[in-house]
Amino acid sequence: MASPAPDLPAFSGAAWLDAYGAQVANGDVVRETTNRAMWAAMADEVAVASGGDLNQARARIQRQADEIGTGFRMPGDSDERKWPLSPIPLMIDAREWAGIADAIKQRATLMEVLLEDIYGAQRLMGSGLLPAALLNGSPHFLRPMVGLQPPDGHQLHFYAADIGRGPNGEWRVLADHTRTPTGAGYALENRLAVSRVLPGLQARLNIERLAPFFADVRAGIAASSRRADPRIALLTPGRFNQSYAEQAHLARYLGMLLVEGEDLAVHDDHLYLRTIEGMKRVDALWRRIDPRLIDPLAFDSRSRIGVPGLIDAMGAGNVVIANSPGAGVLESPAFAAFMPRLSMRLTGEDLRMPNIATWWCGQDGERAKVIDGLDTMLMSPAFPTEPRGLPDGPMIGGDLDPDARAALLADLDKRGIDYVGQELVRLSTLPTVGPDGLEPRPFLLRVFAARDAQGQWSVMPGGFARIGEHLDVRAALMGEGAFSADVCIVSNKPVSPVTLMSAAEKVTIRRNPGTLPSRVADNLFWLGRYLERAEAVLGLVRAGIGGSIDVDGGAPLADDTVGRLGGLLVASGAAANRARTRDADIIALARAAMDDAKETSSVRSILRNARAIGDGSRERLATDVWRLLDAPFPTRESIATRAAQLHERFAALAGLSAENMGRTAGWRFLDLGRRIERAITVCRLLRALGSDASSADDLSALLELSNSAIGYRQRYPTGLAPIAVRDLIALDTSNPRSLAFQVEAIAGHLAALPRLSDDGMAEEQQQLANALAAQLATLSAVTLDDHAVQGLDNRLLAISDAIANRFFLRGGEPLRAQGLTLA
Amino acid sequence: MKYRIIHETRFAYAVPVRFARCNLRLKPIIWSGQTLVEHSLATIPSGEFSFGRADASLANVTRLVIPEAVTDLRIVSHATVDVDRAIPDVRADDPDLATVARLARESRDVSAASPANYLFPSPRIELDPAIADYCAQSLDPSRGSLEAAIDLACRIQRDFEFNTDVTRTETPPSEAFAKRGGVCQDFAQIMISGLRSAGLPAAYVSGYLRTIPPPGQARLVGADATHAWVLLWCGPDRGWVGVDPTNGIWMAGDHIVTAIGRDYSEIAPIDGIFLGSGARTMKVSVDVEPLHEIVPAHN
Repeated sequence: MASPAPDLPAFSGAAWLDAYGAQVANGDVVRETTNRAMWAAMADEVAVASGGDLNQARARIQRQADEIGTGFRMPGDSDERKWPLSPIPLMIDAREWAGIADAIKQRATLMEVLLEDIYGAQRLMGSGLLPAALLNGSPHFLRPMVGLQPPDGHQLHFYAADIGRGPNGEWRVLADHTRTPTGAGYALENRLAVSRVLPGLQARLNIERLAPFFADVRAGIAASSRRADPRIALLTPGRFNQSYAEQAHLARYLGMLLVEGEDLAVHDDHLYLRTIEGMKRVDALWRRIDPRLIDPLAFDSRSRIGVPGLIDAMGAGNVVIANSPGAGVLESPAFAAFMPRLSMRLTGEDLRMPNIATWWCGQDGERAKVIDGLDTMLMSPAFPTEPRGLPDGPMIGGDLDPDARAALLADLDKRGIDYVGQELVRLSTLPTVGPDGLEPRPFLLRVFAARDAQGQWSVMPGGFARIGEHLDVRAALMGEGAFSADVCIVSNKPVSPVTLMSAAEKVTIRRNPGTLPSRVADNLFWLGRYLERAEAVLGLVRAGIGGSIDVDGGAPLADDTVGRLGGLLVASGAAANRARTRDADIIALARAAMDDAKETSSVRSILRNARAIGDGSRERLATDVWRLLDAPFPTRESIATRAAQLHERFAALAGLSAENMGRTAGWRFLDLGRRIERAITVCRLLRALGSDASSADDLSALLELSNSAIGYRQRYPTGLAPIAVRDLIALDTSNPRSLAFQVEAIAGHLAALPRLSDDGMAEEQQQLANALAAQLATLSAVTLDDHAVQGLDNRLLAISDAIANRFFLRGGEPLRAQGLTLA
Repeated sequence: MKYRIIHETRFAYAVPVRFARCNLRLKPIIWSGQTLVEHSLATIPSGEFSFGRADASLANVTRLVIPEAVTDLRIVSHATVDVDRAIPDVRADDPDLATVARLARESRDVSAASPANYLFPSPRIELDPAIADYCAQSLDPSRGSLEAAIDLACRIQRDFEFNTDVTRTETPPSEAFAKRGGVCQDFAQIMISGLRSAGLPAAYVSGYLRTIPPPGQARLVGADATHAWVLLWCGPDRGWVGVDPTNGIWMAGDHIVTAIGRDYSEIAPIDGIFLGSGARTMKVSVDVEPLHEIVPAHN
């Protein structure tokens, strides 16, 4: 149909498609497409963007995906696993898509009707249309929710389905996601990556945009809340959850607060967020935590991540939870056996997209049928729990060895309720990049639907395609898929650009970016403190190795001074273990302080902590800041080179937050942490190296470590004097590295942060900071001895405690009163 | 027989805890063979009681909030229960186990009392192959359901040792089974796991046993604290039938039902949360006294 444009280079995409078409079997989306032009246009774009090199295209898209942060974490694993992204999007013609979207809307509507009945009148079971055991078999059937009306009348706000295309072009639903549908964030990230690598795709084709769908998601949840300008939060289980990265991305994209259970509290059946401005009402939660853990008083009292009383607040009509807890009951594969009949009975029409043909073995007739056809059946658990007869998950009956078959038949006899037999679905293939050009691989598509502001279902025009690692097209054997692809819906009409911003006239101008949760303030404060602390240790490391090895021809430091630097490293906890060994000269101490992960305050350990804290507030950090935090710790070069590299990294981090972060409360907490840590460091350096008895080498090291050497030479060209050095480092407010300068900055931040009452009175942390600033203004460097500096150090710690008391989460974690021990 | 029950729980904390909120499942339910004459709850210091939200189980749930910070919390439940429950007779026409299993999985009843609610593994009771195979010896599908139930309860009582040292509240049934011992919770969980593995509807009961046995009879195990045993649903006519695998006997006149659930996690007498941390000790005392009998004076 479409021939390459004449100005294209010889490596046109059409040639790839021709070669691909010649090798693929029946049931391929390119071979059987009714719109070859869209595939050709896409292939041409890939060819142009990659210079005709498919491997290049694959590498570039993967780099983009990494940049955007597509990745997910295995539970308990601190490293992220990348989900590789194919450079070849799945193209679907708008006419074919219209049928899919229509069927998904019908299914989502049916799901809502089912949930309303299951948690309401329960007529379906009473009339025999659904066996009660079908509910009881699912751990996601939450009996306490029966009879509890969702405030906006909807159980389901967000729905996803896994669909597969068969060899004849027919689509089937293979799985429903009603509990906490995931993957929409991945779809979004894949699209971002593809649009960066294939920038001309949109110009060649009218590809439906994803932004309007996400606008609908937000508007839908907002419309279901009682208040006109509702506060909506995305409730995450925390950064150890495997899809935390997706959640952080979605929250940032949708402009929702990303909150954890401990950020929230219920009082008098209303839900509140703990913020630095006190408790703030929350109207709706987009729930990403397992509903069984969402409220320890309603469900599992062992939950440490839930919000006690949340279900009471929902029952009182004061908070919308999307999706309603208990919606996951419909995810059991056994439900598929009943869906065709339920659709007919409840909506008067057939399913517009059939689901995978399923027989539930809890019914005697069906069980007999399944046993009869066992060889060609896919045997699966009927519910999320794993039954005895399928220890390795779903299996094709014919693939079972005699022992496994006998074991399955024995358990089917006793507990048929735990099993379904399913037809063997074969999947279509799509093109992916292999070592020798395009290769066919089977795929599944996850599609998403959400309620819009009118409560109607809106379907994301696109989705998340998962692609099998091998060519075997039996759906059961594909598993979760080895990699993913973007999904482009190609319209024959031009698509107008839309972003999440609403039309200009509707926007209320707002210069304050919103409420800062106490936990985030806490995280940012400690991130600032850790980064500053790491910098201070790094400074000591550099001074220590520079002073003992004559690296640049300068005079080495005196032994006494080197000894004091070592003492500072040991006292800071950066080389405490090393100091107890025989090999504890300054080089050994410096190495430990740099690299030893077992030292609590080595640069490496502090950076690890800083990264963990930053990870917990990733949605608040600029991407560049996160990238620097996430960068691997250098290990290859010499210690001096690595120290220099890290020094640059710290400078970049400080610069990014100084120059690029909005002057929000969040920035203030990050800077407060830095200032307090820096002030404490100055005190400790002064005590070690700034007494009247200190040598010239001591004073020179002190000036270097406090980055004040140049400032000193400008003021005092004659030479080093302890009093002059102390004044510059401790008391001179024009020196940006001085103690006094830090305290002024701290007082300034505290004055700018919100107060709990409007009586104009300073809060404790403000009083302490102002008093310290006043004291510093009256001190003289002459009398600033060890004792006096220690007093200042203590007052700084008191300010830090007062800040924590006022702004951060206090009171310890909720504990559970365990049930009684039985006799 | 009328019983007076005093069930006292005492929590002590090293540092004060704030804002304790608990679900109490201490008020005995009305169940076949027993009626609740009187019940009262008290706490020291005093708290606010309210009706708990409909629960997942057959239990009376009371919500308790202690607003003040406490280091010592006492919760006392007083109940008077009239029990009139005969020992069930095993009949030739009892439904066999295959029939019971079929009726349960075909049930149209969605309530917490439905047999369908008790067919599946639950948070604290997994289905374990070793337990299943052990129990299966008593559970031939053609066997009468009551006969099978008491036979299995007696086997468990014989084959397992009552020992308070080998298990804890959290010990899963598979572990207690491997150790061949435990307390009443373990005995009940093992039996329930085995029954469910055979496709049978089995529930967990929490309750009390009379403390002082009738003259001339041995004191039953588990009488000085809360007790746990098993219900098997035996078809619509016989309904839920109770057996006590710790003692190898039927549930009858000495058993007082407090709550029924899929397992202990649904019907713990007290669970909840509070703010605070620190060490905690907990003491439970249970006293179950027959009311109409005159306790013989000691010489």
